[in-house]
Parts: sequence; C-alpha cells; structure tokens
Amino acid sequence: MALIEVDHLTFAYDTRPVLEEVTLAVAPGEKLAILGGNGSGKSTLAQWIAGWLPRGTFAASAGGVNIEGRPWDELDDATRAGTVQFVGQVPMQQLSGFAFTVRDEIAFGPGNLQLPEAEIRARVDAAVAACNLSHLLERDPFSLSGGEQQRLSIAAALAMRPRALVLDEPTGNFDPESRDALLAQMAKLPAELAIVWCDVTLGVPLAVAQRFVLLDAGRIAYDGDAAGLLAHPRTAEIFGLPAVAEAALMLRAQGLWPEGAAISADAGQVAAVLRPMLAEAAR
Amino acid sequence: MAVAHPSGADHALLFVPGQSVMHRLNPLTKLTCVLWVAVAAFALPPQGTIPLALVAIATGIFAGAGKVFARRLILTLVPLSLALFVVHGILVDHAGDRTVILGLDLSHDGLAYMVRILGRIAALLSGSLLFVCTTHPARLLKALDAHRFPPGMAYVIASPLLLLEPFTQRARAIREAQMARGLNLEGSFLARAKAFPALLMPLVTLALADIDHRAQVLDGRGFRAMPHRTVLDAPRDSTAQRVARWVILISIPFLIAGGILWH
Amino acid sequence: MSPILTLDAVQFGYDPAKPVLQDISFQVHPGEVVAVVGRNGAGKSTMLRLLNGLLRPGSGRVTIAGKDAADLKVSEIAAHIGTVFQAPEQQIFNATVRSEIAFGPAQSGLSAEVQQCRIDAAVQRTDLGEVLDTHPLDLDAAMRRFVAVASVIACQPDLMLFDEAQRGLDATRRALLGRIIAEEKSAGRAIVLVCHDMDFVAAHADRVLGLAEGRLAVDAPVRDFFADAEATRAVSVEQPGIVELAQALGQPVAVNAAELVATLAKKLKGGA
Repeated sequence: MALIEVDHLTFAYDTRPVLEEVTLAVAPGEKLAILGGNGSGKSTLAQWIAGWLPRGTFAASAGGVNIEGRPWDELDDATRAGTVQFVGQVPMQQLSGFAFTVRDEIAFGPGNLQLPEAEIRARVDAAVAACNLSHLLERDPFSLSGGEQQRLSIAAALAMRPRALVLDEPTGNFDPESRDALLAQMAKLPAELAIVWCDVTLGVPLAVAQRFVLLDAGRIAYDGDAAGLLAHPRTAEIFGLPAVAEAALMLRAQGLWPEGAAISADAGQVAAVLRPMLAEAAR
Repeated sequence: MAVAHPSGADHALLFVPGQSVMHRLNPLTKLTCVLWVAVAAFALPPQGTIPLALVAIATGIFAGAGKVFARRLILTLVPLSLALFVVHGILVDHAGDRTVILGLDLSHDGLAYMVRILGRIAALLSGSLLFVCTTHPARLLKALDAHRFPPGMAYVIASPLLLLEPFTQRARAIREAQMARGLNLEGSFLARAKAFPALLMPLVTLALADIDHRAQVLDGRGFRAMPHRTVLDAPRDSTAQRVARWVILISIPFLIAGGILWH
Repeated sequence: MSPILTLDAVQFGYDPAKPVLQDISFQVHPGEVVAVVGRNGAGKSTMLRLLNGLLRPGSGRVTIAGKDAADLKVSEIAAHIGTVFQAPEQQIFNATVRSEIAFGPAQSGLSAEVQQCRIDAAVQRTDLGEVLDTHPLDLDAAMRRFVAVASVIACQPDLMLFDEAQRGLDATRRALLGRIIAEEKSAGRAIVLVCHDMDFVAAHADRVLGLAEGRLAVDAPVRDFFADAEATRAVSVEQPGIVELAQALGQPVAVNAAELVATLAKKLKGGA
C-alpha cells in the first residue's frame, strides 16, 4: 500500500485555485521530486503531503490526502509526527525556539513524544551523524549559518524517525558550497525513508530523486523518470535548458548534429560528439 | 554550559558560567528561594532586608558573579538613592523631626522611608540576580520539564530569550532596506516619526508569518502531543533539596505573619 | 563618459584590526553590467553595503555621480543607487503592490503625471499588471522579488544593485529579469549583480569583479574572466558549462549557446 496517497485533490486559497485534480502516491522509501515553475502550486502540494494542510479555513474543495488509507485528521499528533516531517525554505523558521543548543533542538521532538531517555539519545546520535553536526552540538541554533541551520532542521526532523521527509526548496537560499554539503548529507539518509523534494530548478533534484512529477499550473503534467522529464516539452520552457544542451539543440536545428547522437547537458559528452566533426571540417 | 560562540541568546543573558554550589543547586530550589526573598523584601523591615541583600551579594561574589552584581546594583541603586534622598529626604514635608546637616534640611521619617525602599529593592534585585547569574535558562527549562510542569510554561520562558536576537537582526535588516530605498532615518524627529510605519509594518507582518509557521513546526515535532516531556541531562535533584523547597514554601505564610508583627 | 560610481582604495572592517575589505578600487560606467563574485565570506555583501551607503569605508573614498559619498545621507544616495535585497519581504511595507511601487516615485517630487508614467512602465516591464491590488506578501516569493524590482526601476536610479535576484526563479522569470537588465543597460544605467550563479553571470554581465579574502582579486571583462582558469580558481567559482564546452573544442570563450553555435556553424559549414 502506498505510504502517502494524494487523491484527486483540488484546492484553492480563497478564490485563487492552486491545485487541480492532483493524484499521486508515494511508496515507502521512494525518492520523489516535485518540480514546477514559480506559482505552479508545488509548495502547497508539499504542505498537503506533509499534513500542514488542511488547517483552519483552508480545506480541499475536492479530494484529499490519505496516509496508508486513513485521512490525516484521523491520526493522532504523535503518529502524524512519526509519519511525515516537513523542512521548509527559510532555515531559521524551522527552529523550535525552545532549545539553547543544537543537541537540545534535535532532542526536542523525541522529548515531546515522552520517549525513554536512552531512545532519545540514540536518535540524537544517529541524526547528528547523518547530518554532520557533531562539531556544533553546544552551539545556539540561532547563531548557526543558514546552511548549518538547514542541516539542523533536517536532523531534528530525522530524530522523529519519520517514514517520509518533505523538503520544500531546501537549498533555495544557499550558495553552491552549502548546497553541495546538504546534497552529500542527503546521500547518507536511511534507504527506507521516503523523500519528497520540491524545487524550481532541475540540477539538485536530478541528483536526489529517481521519480519526477512535473507540476504545471496546479496540474500534474508529467510523472515518470528523469529521461522522460528532460524530453518533456514543458521542461525546457519551465526550467530552461542548460546552455550546453541548448547549443546541441540549436546545432541540430541547423542540421549540424549527427543523427542518433544523444542531446546532453554534459560539456564533455557534447564535445566528444563535435570534436570529430570539427576535425573533419578543418581538413 | 559551554559557550563557543559569542552571538546568539547567550550573548544577551546575565548568566556567568561556573561550578559553585549555587550553580549546582537545582534551578527549582533557587526559584523557590527567589520567591521567598521576594516575599521577605516586602514583609521585612530594613533590619531584615539589608542583611538579606548583603547575604545574596556575598553569595553572588562567591559564585563568581561579582562584576555583574556590581554593575547592576550600581546602575539601579545609585540613581534611586539620589532620587529618594532628594524627594523624601529634602522635598516632601514628612511629619516628625528634621535635622540640618551641611546646610541641608533633612526629614528623619523621609530618610527612614528611603532606607526602607532601598533595602527592599536591594533584596529583590540581588536575590533575582543571584538566580539569573547562576542559572542558565536551558537548565531551568529542563528542571521545569523534569518536574512535569506544562510544556507551554517552559516555552513561554524560552522563546522570548531565544527569539530576541533573530528579531533584532531582522529589525536591523528592515531598517537598512528602508534606508536604501530612500527613507530618511537620519533626519529630524518628525522625518523619523513619519518613517516609523515603514519599519514597523514589515517587522509585524513577518513576525506574524513566523508565528504561524513556527506553530506548524511545533505541531510537526509533536509539541504537546503528550502531557509531559522527557528531558536529557535533567538538573540533579536530591531529597535534601526537595525537603528544603517544601520548608521554604511552608515558611512563607509565617514570614508574612512575622513581618506584620515586626512592623 | 564619467563614471557613476568610483571606489578608491576603500578599506573596511567592523574591527579595524581585521579588515573585511582592503584596497578596493574600481569604477562603474553608465551602461555597464558588473558582476561581483566570490565565495561566502569573501566580502560581497559588505561591498554591496558600502555601495549603497549602509556602511561607510574605514579609509579610502566612494564617489557617487561625482559626489563624495561621505557627504551624502543614505536617503540621498538612494536617489542614485537602488537596491534589490535578497529578502524582498524586508523592503516591502505597503498593503498593495500598486502602493508599494508608487512609494519611491512619490518621494521624488516629480509631477503626478511623470510619476504615474514611471509606475505604469515599471508595472508593465515586471509583468505585475494582474496583481496590482494584491498584498505583496500574498504573492509567491518570485513575484515578490519582482515587486521589489519594480519599486526600484520606478525610481530610475543611475545604478541598480541586485543581490542574488536570480535565485529561485524559473526560466520565464529569469528571462524576464534578464530582459530588465538589458533594458536598463541600453537606457544608459548601470547594474551591479552580486551573484553565485555563473550561468547568469556569463549570460548577463559585461565585467566581473572577483573578491577573494577581502581583496579585489580579479577585475576583467566577462569573457577574459571565464577564459582564465586561474582567475576563476582564485575566486573559487565554477566555470559555466558553455565555457567548458567552448574550451574543450578549442574555440574562443562563448558566454551563451547562440554565440558558440554561431562560431561552430561557421567552421562546420565552411569545411563542408
């Protein structure tokens, strides 16, 4: 059975429609990316998957989200916390505001669940190791850099031992170094943890996910593997092609690209195709 | 508690790291003592409050917080003494005897009143200083959680201390952003008053958005999913301290009664 | 042409013993797009704040439109230099997009018609016509960024500072931002981009200022910068893929696909 099932979900903020008839299932341990342009509804979908919606006056106009067949609001708080964890875009906002040290921030969630001390310690140690925070344990969470805070919020989420982790543009505000550090961390997460990574660019998700959902104006336009995503006509329009792939396509349009050679975004591969042609032409 | 970095909440605290007896006491025991001192400050006459303040100051110095005590006590008591001396010692027409010293016509009752107020403030202040100088708020939180106080109570103590620094940083960023778009914050008082809404609006709207978001974060991390929390490294407690706390609490009504009789 | 901005031996440090920036000298001329690059902590944001007057140099001189910046208030500098900050929500305070964009021109003392004209142009160029009556904070982050951009271009400053303005934008919005940069440039205004994204730098900047450990390690035209592997390494930035491809093929450095394809097509067709 699917872990999380989004079932014909239609949702609007007030009168502005955001999601239209979205149907999507996340299996245990699946690595999924939800991609879309600005305003495509991916952050809203991420909040539905993580159980942050519905809340207050925000309710679905049709459909909903089920966790192993049961709707979110039938689950108690502890079960919800142990099922899906959400990591948002602004690292500082993910901190509880309860802990004076990194260690206490990670222990905060398990402590709330009244777990035995030994269990909490084991969870904290595992999360610290997975997110490479051992040198920061006694620091004030609010004094960390954005990249460190984001790793901390992932560690705090992991300490809840969720079955799925939803991340909404987690590297959106990062410089390349912090982004690479976070990616290295992602690779070390437990295999049985499902990942739902929402983003507005292709590069990072391609390194994290195996399955890709393209959200276009609140509807699912594509659901499948990376090759299909890259070939999808909307992909180039929404995310822009890397300049290398764009150059290859432009050459093909002029009849200057060998038939059957794959279009690639990798400079080395494209160069390998073009080098013999240039040598030939120079002769 | 190790403090490796100057920024963050520790920056704004009066806490002085140390290993003294006061540091090692359970925060709840110290909190009970503060309560007792607060009551005593009002119940006792100067003959009681002044020695009490002196004991607290001596303990503070012994615990390594002499500098903080000196600074805070001087900053508070010196201007206060001056004001009380001028107003009650000289200006207010108290009944009773007056004496002329160095050309000043002083009222005995006015001076007695001054000493009473000063004693009270000194006791209150040094008692609370002793608490905040030797108790890191993190330890207080853990003690509250470990003694099964409602988690919301600990949160009310922790969050203002922790969120003050990010809040100030954001206020600074907003101020800079508004100046850079032409808002005149270096001009006259009127110009600055006119610019005030442009600083306040983003601060308030962002704070509200933060609160909304943080409420979700707390829910997501199971805050208040259970009636109590488990804490790691809870401050040590002992039977002696438990007994002491009860004795102190039970003594409070007697203290009040005694104070009334003494007056 | 006289420069809009001149930095002359500028030095700055919060702690004078540990300067964040030292010996920074450069000029920015009308119609120039200059990218400031370098790793985190190299001094990029400090430099940005020296340009818009939020920080003042410890020594050296900043000259803006011919005037010594030391004699200008931040609000006076703002008439010459507009800043789009990384977090637009910190500079937005009006209840509607319309009044937010109108705020800058209203401070200018221009006639109502001229003001309206500038506002309309800014709205049209940032594609915000449909959300004029929305609260800016109800928009998504990308549109909010354009509200900040619109409120700055409506003031028509001589120089605009973009602090990572391309971050988090999809292809459509990146193209829109690129178009605005090109329009400002052709109108004779200057742009300084603080930018981590080398593809964006390659596509839009004329010149690169590279900071390393608080010093200006590189000041070069964008092609020369990317052609020089030592320069990119000195300021710890990655080379854009298109530059790598051009170099792998032994071609002159190209900064976008069209440029490289034009060179290649000539050679491939010429030989055919």
